[in-house]
Amino acid sequence: MAQRTELLQGTLDMLVLRTLLFGPLYGYGIAKSIQQTSGDSLAIEFGSLYPALKRLELKGWIAAKWETSERNRRARFYRLTAAGRKQLTREQSKWQSFADAIARVMTSEPESGQS
Amino acid sequence: MNHLRRLQYLFPGYRHQQERDMEAELQSLQEIAAEDATRLGNLTLAREDARAAWGWTWLASLYADVRYAWRTLRKDRVFTAVAILSLALGIGANAAIFSIIDKLLIESLPVRDPSSLVLLDDSDSSYFTYLRFAANTENVFSGIFARCSDARDVDPGGGPTRANVELVTGSYFPTLGVRPWLGRMLGPDDDRRGNPAPVAVISYGLWRRRYAGDPSAIGRTIRVQRSPFTIIGIAPPELFGVVVGEAPEVWLPLSLHASVFPGRHWLDEPNTNFLELMGRLRPGVAPQRAADVLTPVLIQTEFDRSPDAPESVRAEIRRERVNLIPAATGISWLRYRFSGPLRIVFAMVAITLLLACLNLINLQAARVREHRKEFAVRLAIGASRLRVAREVFTESALLALAGGACGLLLCGPLAHVLLDLMSPGDPIALGLGLNHQVLAFVAAISMAAAILFGTGPAWRSTRGEILPALQSGSGAAKASPASRMLGRGLAALQMALSLVLVAGAILFATSLYKLLHADFGLNPSHVLVLDVDAVEAGYQASQSAALSQRLVARLAPLAGVESVSFSAVGIFTGRNMNMAVEPVGQPKPANPYAWYDEIGPRYFATIGAHMVAGRDFDERDNLAAPKVMIVNQQFARFYLPGLNPIGRSVAVEEVDRKPKVLREIVGVVKDLRNAGSRQQPAPYFYLPALQTVDIPFSTRFLIRAAGDPRALYASIRAAVRAEDPALNIISLDTAGELLDRGIGHDRMMAALAAAFGVLALLLAAIGIYGLLSYEVARRTGEMGIRAALGARRADIVRLILSEIAGIAIVGIVLGGVAAFAVSTLITRLVFGLSPNDPLVLAGAALILLAVALSAAYWPARRAALLDPLAALRRE
Repeated sequence: MAQRTELLQGTLDMLVLRTLLFGPLYGYGIAKSIQQTSGDSLAIEFGSLYPALKRLELKGWIAAKWETSERNRRARFYRLTAAGRKQLTREQSKWQSFADAIARVMTSEPESGQS
Repeated sequence: MNHLRRLQYLFPGYRHQQERDMEAELQSLQEIAAEDATRLGNLTLAREDARAAWGWTWLASLYADVRYAWRTLRKDRVFTAVAILSLALGIGANAAIFSIIDKLLIESLPVRDPSSLVLLDDSDSSYFTYLRFAANTENVFSGIFARCSDARDVDPGGGPTRANVELVTGSYFPTLGVRPWLGRMLGPDDDRRGNPAPVAVISYGLWRRRYAGDPSAIGRTIRVQRSPFTIIGIAPPELFGVVVGEAPEVWLPLSLHASVFPGRHWLDEPNTNFLELMGRLRPGVAPQRAADVLTPVLIQTEFDRSPDAPESVRAEIRRERVNLIPAATGISWLRYRFSGPLRIVFAMVAITLLLACLNLINLQAARVREHRKEFAVRLAIGASRLRVAREVFTESALLALAGGACGLLLCGPLAHVLLDLMSPGDPIALGLGLNHQVLAFVAAISMAAAILFGTGPAWRSTRGEILPALQSGSGAAKASPASRMLGRGLAALQMALSLVLVAGAILFATSLYKLLHADFGLNPSHVLVLDVDAVEAGYQASQSAALSQRLVARLAPLAGVESVSFSAVGIFTGRNMNMAVEPVGQPKPANPYAWYDEIGPRYFATIGAHMVAGRDFDERDNLAAPKVMIVNQQFARFYLPGLNPIGRSVAVEEVDRKPKVLREIVGVVKDLRNAGSRQQPAPYFYLPALQTVDIPFSTRFLIRAAGDPRALYASIRAAVRAEDPALNIISLDTAGELLDRGIGHDRMMAALAAAFGVLALLLAAIGIYGLLSYEVARRTGEMGIRAALGARRADIVRLILSEIAGIAIVGIVLGGVAAFAVSTLITRLVFGLSPNDPLVLAGAALILLAVALSAAYWPARRAALLDPLAALRRE
């Protein structure tokens, strides 16, 4: 656990939306998918993912339906809604500019001379 | 969208369906992820957090708290009933007083910009004075009007009923800024004295009741005192005139005064004061500046009103100042009479509520102590302290809410009882109801009460170590010294507050007794006062003396009548008349104006007054006889100091009679005192009614009965009808009833103070009983040891009683100091004794001590009768 990257505050929603961009998934599947895509560096406990799903559902960004899973089990599948797609675009660009800004600061050369 | 979805979760059906859905989903996941179940994490927490996302957890937990509190309260029925009842009484009484105070003292007139309205002086003015002001105040007033009102016979068709009628100048409606509901209001055109149009504006209420709200009522005829008026408009529903509690049904032009007050020509009499004047200040004009502008007008008017005034009076007139009284809340005699008493009553009910809250603090604290073990268990298994405290507080809040709701139900009836006490037999139309001010007030005091008696116990429920609480054997855990001190402190505070109320009750009761049994200078028992209006029936002033004599001749022979006389003023009633007098051969008096009455033969004998010297009037004191007068002792002292008044001559300046009439004093009567009067008797003189040109008022007949005066009502009414069916009997009361009415607010204060005193005693007794019962239960073991060591029962009783006596004495001393401090507030309300009379305080202290000791007796007895063995075994 110690080596794993801690999730930045507020990014979980974005990760969930992004994961659902490739197709509907059931709850535990989302957690596994995020972990796999991140190369095991982001381990998301389902216990903390679940409230986020409920929150997103309430906001109307994702919708859920009971369907049958690959192993012929009934599961609740979440899919991205149109509103969720728009939200993802917004969050992604926000995140991008944030990450760029952090990167610029972190890679800048120390300035010499007077302040 | 988001909010809409959230709202869905408020419906239990929807929420339950979501719950089931969530349960099924998590269940399915557990099956899918069976191989790595640990990766799923804490699902219980996930559930909680998911519910939190729905956003109504606070509501759900509030609901749970309320349900829990409800169950606890239902289990403890006696406690709950006592708590709710005492809160309901306290809150209801507070709300009742508040609703009256709100109407009387706070609520503004429902007119445009009420804050710029002012009342000119607190006494009445004449029409003459009004005209002068109306012509000279344009700079400071944007409008000024005069008004008067009285109960008159109003007949919209189908028989007359008595209703309040307000007579107003045409400037009344424009100045107030009242717009008609229908038709038009009275205007400046209606002020014309010569040939005015008989028009009337009627109230919205009368329009709905008698005309079924039909717009065609306009143009119809309404009769007031038999004179016809054409209805020209309907006043808006909220308008109740400018006098609080009066609510006139009809507004008439003042110019038509004579048609509803037949025989009276008050508009033409510069010295008849019967009008209230109100003005609207121009924007930016300060009341003080307006008063400065108006004062010269007033002084000139006064000079013109009494051109022959002696220099001493002229000097007094020059010192007169216009007094502008803010009139945003209208005119209210109730306010003038009752604002002081009502504030005191408000303080009394507030103290009573505080007492009830103190009791609840004690009771709740005891309950918290009893449940300490339960709280400790819950804290031990991980409940947060805040959560536990919240539960205890929810219980208090629920009690306060229930108390407040019951209090609201009590508010209306209590307020009406109070109004009846204030004005017996003369209903006051205050339009009391549950308005939003009262609702807000009740909500506020209920919450304040909940905070007052709920926070302490709630906080205490979470204090203390968990372990000792779990370990202690008995349910009644040991109280810390601090909490015992708190209990005793509260009991002492209760005693102190109760002492203030009990002292107040004794004061007001004594004061009432003294007022009722004051030396009125006459004997009111078996006396009836009959008020007959001959002027209204069309009699001229010159005929009225003869009419009075004829009525006396009809009344005197009735069976059961001992003696009959009559006068203009009568006894225990309000009617003031004064005239200038000047004793012959004496220096000019500083104040020549003395009160007077015009009385029939044997007046003083009939009312049972005491002649100090000389004689009563009889039939021989008529127009043909020498002019005579009788004076009271104060008159003799003031105008004829050190002289024997009998035989002296006094020049009396009688109305419409010049030059002054010289009269000889033939008798001195002991000073008479009016009902409820706190003042020293004033100089007063009496003229024989048979020797005066009568004044245009009704005549009051005094009838002394041999037995029960009420038995005479029917025969008296019949006798008046036999003389002339047109004669209107304004009233027929016993002197006792008039006396009662004259001391209305004293009776109200005494009744309320007594009620609150008893309530305070009851609450204090409950408090002490509860405190001691708990103490005894807690100290069972100690008592057992004492008994085992040989303490006698009397010793144990003494031990407990001495403890309570200590608390009582601390409380009584505190209360005595408090009572002494607030006593100055009621100086004007009590009669015949000082508000900090040591005897009263001592009496209150004794009563309180007795109540405290008797409340302590039962717990003490219980302690004394303990079986030492059983008590020790419990330890």
